[in-house]
Amino acid sequence: MTDVGRVDRILVGVGSALRIFLREPAQLAVLLALPVIVIEGYGYAMTAFPEFPFMRMNVETIGRLSGAIYASAFLPGVMGLFQVISAVQADERLRLCGYDRFELFLVRLATVAAVSLAVAAVSLAVLARTVTVEAPAIAFGALAAAALAYGLIGMLVGAALPRALEGSLVLVFLVDADDFLSSGMVEIDSRLVELFPLYHPHELFQSAVEGTFADGAALATGAYLLVLLSIAALVYVRLTDSRGVLHA
Amino acid sequence: MQNIRYMPNKKNVRRVGDADLDGDVVLRADGIGKTYDSVVPFVGRTVEVLDGASVAIEAGEIVGIVGENGAGKSTLMQILVGALGADSGEVAVDGTIGWCPQDPLLYDRLTVTETFRLFGTAYGMDEEAVTAARDRYAELLGFEEFLDYRIDRLSGGNRQKINLAVGLMHDPDLLLLDEPYTGFDWETYLSFWGLTEQLTEQGTAIAIISHFVSERDRFDRILELTDGTLTDVTDRDPDAAAGRGSGNAGDATTASTEVGAGD
Repeated sequence: MTDVGRVDRILVGVGSALRIFLREPAQLAVLLALPVIVIEGYGYAMTAFPEFPFMRMNVETIGRLSGAIYASAFLPGVMGLFQVISAVQADERLRLCGYDRFELFLVRLATVAAVSLAVAAVSLAVLARTVTVEAPAIAFGALAAAALAYGLIGMLVGAALPRALEGSLVLVFLVDADDFLSSGMVEIDSRLVELFPLYHPHELFQSAVEGTFADGAALATGAYLLVLLSIAALVYVRLTDSRGVLHA
Repeated sequence: MQNIRYMPNKKNVRRVGDADLDGDVVLRADGIGKTYDSVVPFVGRTVEVLDGASVAIEAGEIVGIVGENGAGKSTLMQILVGALGADSGEVAVDGTIGWCPQDPLLYDRLTVTETFRLFGTAYGMDEEAVTAARDRYAELLGFEEFLDYRIDRLSGGNRQKINLAVGLMHDPDLLLLDEPYTGFDWETYLSFWGLTEQLTEQGTAIAIISHFVSERDRFDRILELTDGTLTDVTDRDPDAAAGRGSGNAGDATTASTEVGAGD
C-alpha cells in the first residue's frame, strides 16, 4: 500500500466516469445530434410566430438561442440523473474501499462539468453557423452555466426520484418549461421567472450574442450555480450515507 | 449504539482499541438488530431481519454463515462491512476489510484492467501494486484473457471472478464473502478454496455465506442464522443444518460443473 493522494483518486475517478460516458454510443449520438436538431428545429418552428415589440431579436434567432440553451441543459441534466441512480451502488462499494463521499461527489460533479463543457461547445458551434455571436467566450460561458445548472438539478432529481423513466420525464418537462419561460418569447410580468435556473443564463447568452455584456446576469448565474452546487453536494452526501443505499 | 464505519484503505480505517477486541479477534458484532420498514406509512410490511445477532471472528479462522433464503445473511454481511446501518448493536473491527458482495457491484462499461485500477486507487495501492494484484488473481481465478474486456461483456461467472478479486486485491486482514463462487466452473471453485487455505495460513480471517452442506468440512466454524440470531451449528448433524437442498457442489465430479447460485 502507498499513500495515494486525493487528487490521484479524483483524477482516476473522473477518467473512469468519462470512459463510462464515452463508451455509450447513444449518449455520444445525443451529444452531437441534439444541438443540431433542437437549434434548427426551434428556429424553424418560431418562424410561424409573429414578432412582438418586447422581443429583443427576430423570432427565428430567439428560437435558435432557445434551442441552444435547451440542448445544452437537457443532456447534462439526464446525465446528472443517471450519475446518481445508476452508479450509486457501485459508488457505495468504492466508498467502502476508500473513497470518501466528498471525493465521490467531486468525481460525479467533474464528470457532469466535462460533459457540460462539451455540449456547450457543440451547441455554440452549431448556433454560430447561422447566428452571428458577438462575444463567443461569454456565450460559451452562459451555455456551460445552463448545462451545469441542469447537471446539478439532474443529480437532485435522481436523489429525490431514483427512477430512470420518471426522472427523465421530469427533466424533459422542467428543461422545456424553464427554457420557454426564460427565453423572452413570452412577456411575463412576474419576477418569479427570475428564479428559474435558465433565466439568468438566457439573459447572459442573449447579451453575448448581441455583443453587450449583462454583468448582472453573470453575477446572478454564478450565485445561482453556487447555491445549486451546495444543495447538490448536501443531498449527494446525504444520499450516500451508509444507511440503505444498497436497498435504494 | 456505536456505529463503527471503516474503510479498507489503511490510512482511513477506524480501529477500535486493543482492549475492545480480545486476543486474535479481528471482528466482533454484538446484538445486531435490523428491521426493514415500508417507506410509505400504513402500506407494506415491517420485516424484522436481525434480532440480536452476535459473532466474533479471529485471525486465521474461516467461518461459514448459513441460513434459509431470506434469513438475513446478506443484510448481516452488509452491516458487518459497513454498507448498511444497523438499528441496534455494535460492530468492532481491527484491520482492513475485503468485501465480495452477492451481486457484482462494478461499473459495467469499464474494462477489467480499468476496474482494478479504480478500486486499487480506492484502496490506496500504487499502479505497480495494482498490476501485481490483478495479474496474481487473473492467473489464480483464470481471467487473464479477459483483462481488456468490458465488465458488461463478461459471462456471469467471469464477472463474479472480478467481483471476488476486487475484494481480495489489497490483501485485507478480514474477508467477508457473500456467496463468492456463484457461477464458478469447477476448477475455479477448487482454486478458490485453495486460496482460502493459503490466506487463513497467513492469518487472514474469512467469513463466507454459503449454501452448500458439503462445504462444512472446509470451515472452522459454521454459524446458522435463524430468527434473526446466529447459532453455532458446527457440531450438528449436517442433515439437520439449514441450507440443505440449495445445491451440493460436493457431488459434482466433472470439470465442467458450474457452481449454482443460492438466494
